[in-house]
Amino acid sequence: MTLFELSNIHRNFALGETRVHALRGVDLTISRGESVAIWGPSGSGKSTLLNLLGLIDAPDEGTVRFEGRDARTLSDDALTDCRNRKIGFVFQGFNLVPVLTALENVMLPLQIQGLEGGAARRRAGEWLARVGLERFAGFRPDKLSGGQRQRVAIARALVTGPALVIADEPTANLDSENSRAVIDLLQHLNAETGVTCVFSTHDPRLLEHVPRRVRLVDGRIEEAQP
Amino acid sequence: MKTLQLGIRNLRRNARRSLTTLLSIAFGFAAVALFSGYTREVYRGLTLQAVHGELIGHLNLARRGMKQEGRLHPERYLLRPPEIAQISRIVHEQYPQALVAPRLGLSGLVSNGHVSTIFLADGVAPADMKALRGPRDRSGTLSADAPQGIAMARGLAALLGMEDGDDVSLLVSTVHGQANAADATVIDRYSTGNAGLEDKALFVPLALAQSLYDAPDQADRLTILLPDIALTDAARARLAPAFAAAGLDLEISTWQELSAFYRQVKGMFDMIFAFILAIVLTIVVMSVTNAMSMAVVERTREIGTLRAMGLRRAGVVRLFVTEALLLVGLGCAAGLALTLLARAGVNAAGLSYTPPNGTGSVLLLVGLDGGRMAFTAGVLGLLGLAAAVFPARRAARRPVTESLAHV
Repeated sequence: MTLFELSNIHRNFALGETRVHALRGVDLTISRGESVAIWGPSGSGKSTLLNLLGLIDAPDEGTVRFEGRDARTLSDDALTDCRNRKIGFVFQGFNLVPVLTALENVMLPLQIQGLEGGAARRRAGEWLARVGLERFAGFRPDKLSGGQRQRVAIARALVTGPALVIADEPTANLDSENSRAVIDLLQHLNAETGVTCVFSTHDPRLLEHVPRRVRLVDGRIEEAQP
Repeated sequence: MKTLQLGIRNLRRNARRSLTTLLSIAFGFAAVALFSGYTREVYRGLTLQAVHGELIGHLNLARRGMKQEGRLHPERYLLRPPEIAQISRIVHEQYPQALVAPRLGLSGLVSNGHVSTIFLADGVAPADMKALRGPRDRSGTLSADAPQGIAMARGLAALLGMEDGDDVSLLVSTVHGQANAADATVIDRYSTGNAGLEDKALFVPLALAQSLYDAPDQADRLTILLPDIALTDAARARLAPAFAAAGLDLEISTWQELSAFYRQVKGMFDMIFAFILAIVLTIVVMSVTNAMSMAVVERTREIGTLRAMGLRRAGVVRLFVTEALLLVGLGCAAGLALTLLARAGVNAAGLSYTPPNGTGSVLLLVGLDGGRMAFTAGVLGLLGLAAAVFPARRAARRPVTESLAHV
């Protein structure tokens, strides 16, 4: 079943006097439960594509359909609520809130939903355990290693039971061992929960076990496997 | 994580900046609170001085036109015994516990037998004077047992070399314009608290004043002392139609209207208060705006993350508004503590000063003006809110991708 459908997507940015064509006519369909790697060199448009999939950006041309609905028809609040309930984000720089503990960071999306504190705490605790960090629940981000922070971010992305997890270069700030572990964790959670995972990377070594790979070059899909 | 807890942690995250902002609010609040507490004490003192010290009472009744033409045609404006009785009855119907005191003003020459000088006398019955004085100190009090006994302002007494028990002669012009004189005895001396009156003022028994003025049982005005000063305006509003219905054409003045000194001092202090408040608010607003703007800029990426996770724009604004209100709330609480400490210190120090136009020193006392403190805290809260709303709104409206890319 189709989760995302991107048709003829163009996205341009002004960089001073220069106009940058980040995406040039991208067509992409992503089904529920898929695990997709968007890869390519720096500046190929990976982050732009992921921002569109995460409903935090809109194309200049073309249509983004999420669960069959045209994203352009949704108000800012509707898009925001949609992100909260259906999309989880894992960022390259982890983007954990520094004044919150690991557990509180994971609780955040649930509390934004309005879930009562006790229930949010229980569910966040379960997710921290699933990423192997239950012992670090009370630690603030600055007391965690890079790999641990990214696992907290993954737990935070998945705690609401989203349909899609977007991970933009989730391994860029990690060593190779931690990078492998993070990708394996995403793959494992994809298999276990059925959540659709889309991540970007410019490191081809991380693609070995990813079932679907989409290669972007200069804003165009050059190669889509399988 | 509740918004409030998150706000507290974010304030602690930038402890030094938060402390600086909080202290600017606290000192600003304390400055306003201490000044308003001081003026409150001054107003209280001036009120007591006007109502009880100058014997103005709460309301003053006189025949309409008395102020303008009473000197030219005194006989037209004096209140006669039937009118005084009628007025008293009407006042007592509305306020049974009120005092209605007939008064008669006089001016003339006072002599010690060697030198003479002018005087301004106020005729009042000794019993009424006692009631009008209320809780004030009793210096300058007349006695029902001394029908010729007068109270003399200290400055006038010094001018004439008078001590208690000395005799003086009072020379006045009667209501009909003829000269009249009487002997009197100084039975008390008092300080008027007003340099302009200190070498002229006398209190004389009403009966002596009426005799000197040749206006038996008459008065040029009636002073009303109500059970409570707070009733003043309401009483005027209630009494005016009652007098009119009885065919009495009277002018009713409140003590504030009659005490020019009170009005002038209050007007000046109110202006200074507004000036200080404006300065404090400017400093505090700049301080809070700076703190909030920096917090918003520093946390732009965090705002992007929260927005990506599903926090609505209003939620972002709420976060920063909560922080600003926390800062203002804590700042005001610290300011209140500072105020109480400083107030206790000043009041315990027993400092005194001589007010403008005063005749003696008065204690420097600082009270608590709850109304103005609440007003200041409210205005600070509103301005703090505005200081947070604008940068937070701007940040919340920024595209999420831009916020996330912020370095």
